[in-house]
Amino acid sequence: MLLLDYQNVLIESLLRERVNGGATANIDQVVSDFDGVTFHISTPESKTKILVSLHIKCYKELVQYGAQSVLEREYGPYIVDPESGYDFSVLVDLEHLPEDQEGKDDLVRRISLLKRNAMAAPFEQAFDEFHQLEEEASKYTSESAPQGVTEGGNVRAIHYREEEAIYIKANYDRVTVIFSTVFREETDRIFGKVFLQEFVDARRRAIQNAPQVLFRNEAPLELQGIPGVDTSGSADIGYITFVLFPRHLTKQRREEVISHIQTFRDYFHYHIKASKAFIHSRMRKRTADFLQVLRRARPEAEEKERKTASGRTFRVQA
Amino acid sequence: MSQSLRPYLQCVRSSLTAALSLSNFASQASERHNVPEIEAASSPEVILNPLTVSRNENERVYIEPSINSVRISIKIKQADEIEHILVHKFTRFLTQRAESFYILRRKPVKGYDITFLITNFHTEEMLKHKLVDFIIQFMEEVDKEISEMKLFLNARARFVAESFLTPFD
Repeated sequence: MLLLDYQNVLIESLLRERVNGGATANIDQVVSDFDGVTFHISTPESKTKILVSLHIKCYKELVQYGAQSVLEREYGPYIVDPESGYDFSVLVDLEHLPEDQEGKDDLVRRISLLKRNAMAAPFEQAFDEFHQLEEEASKYTSESAPQGVTEGGNVRAIHYREEEAIYIKANYDRVTVIFSTVFREETDRIFGKVFLQEFVDARRRAIQNAPQVLFRNEAPLELQGIPGVDTSGSADIGYITFVLFPRHLTKQRREEVISHIQTFRDYFHYHIKASKAFIHSRMRKRTADFLQVLRRARPEAEEKERKTASGRTFRVQA
Repeated sequence: MSQSLRPYLQCVRSSLTAALSLSNFASQASERHNVPEIEAASSPEVILNPLTVSRNENERVYIEPSINSVRISIKIKQADEIEHILVHKFTRFLTQRAESFYILRRKPVKGYDITFLITNFHTEEMLKHKLVDFIIQFMEEVDKEISEMKLFLNARARFVAESFLTPFD
């Protein structure tokens, strides 16, 4: 349970059961996921037709970065018109499933990755742009390259939560992914700092091939002039930059890398909360120990043997 | 135990033992009241001279004796902001349970992290030397606890960071 799953486990188990011949029944369930994403799983027409709808806050932005084509590639024939109140819907007909087991598993996997795939579009676009820029840049030496090539592409902003966003920028030699994150309270901020320091140091110490991680409270230079970026340098906001190098951007690895980097924000905050919970339970235990010591200060009331007038004693029946 | 900790604790122990000679003392101001004089501070004649025992500028104990009560305030070492937040959390955790700690004051004296208030009723009910033992043990363990929590946090952060970055490798 250290790393978070990429797929939505509830959707996965629900669909897997149905697809593999489990009992069909009416479903009407709203499923929440990270980052305020909600799914609605329902059977509006008949028990065998399962409609899965996705609501995501930044869907407009994602479409702008090519989400439509990514989703069409992934879900092709299953796409239906979006349900009202939701952004994207797929319909699975249990009577028209792929024949073989492998196809069924693949379908379940794809649908449980709905959120991941919707969010993947800007990453894929940026990675493609990187390959283009790389090709262009290889025609020049570093001095003679024209402005547009060395500067890199536009910054893609995804405002996936109320106050937090992901920014992605492609260059000819790297892709930069910047997360902005808000710390709700002082403890989170300090714990976050400890965690991020380790992210920064991990590369130097153990994992040489990992992307470079940078952390600061002011907006990084890449984000200068982007609307909606807080430039006040307040300590409550952190900017975490991942620099993905060409070796992370190869065709074979990109799917895994995109899935993994998407989970960063939730993983990071999850572990801050988990540490707080652990420290809390530890303090609880330590407090109990202190109470024990204090209780020793109270002299015990000595148990005297009580006798009746005739000299008989009371005895507790064993 | 480090070289400077032992005499520090020894000094606190003997000062506390001396300060804890308390007697019942009813309020001079109003009839049938019996309040800790160090808190009421209604008359200077029943309040004794306060005493500070410091190990260094960040760690000290402030003992305020009076005729029927003693206030002991402890300043816990805080080297950086992590320790600061951990001390804050821990002392808050303790003071919220002041009810079951009998001698714990709900609010620390200004400038200190945690305060105990021992009255003559406590010393009558409980063994005096065990109360002193408790305070001393508390001082020893609280430092240990804070540094262990800090180490844990660092270790966890390192582990978490490495396991997130390993799949990129």
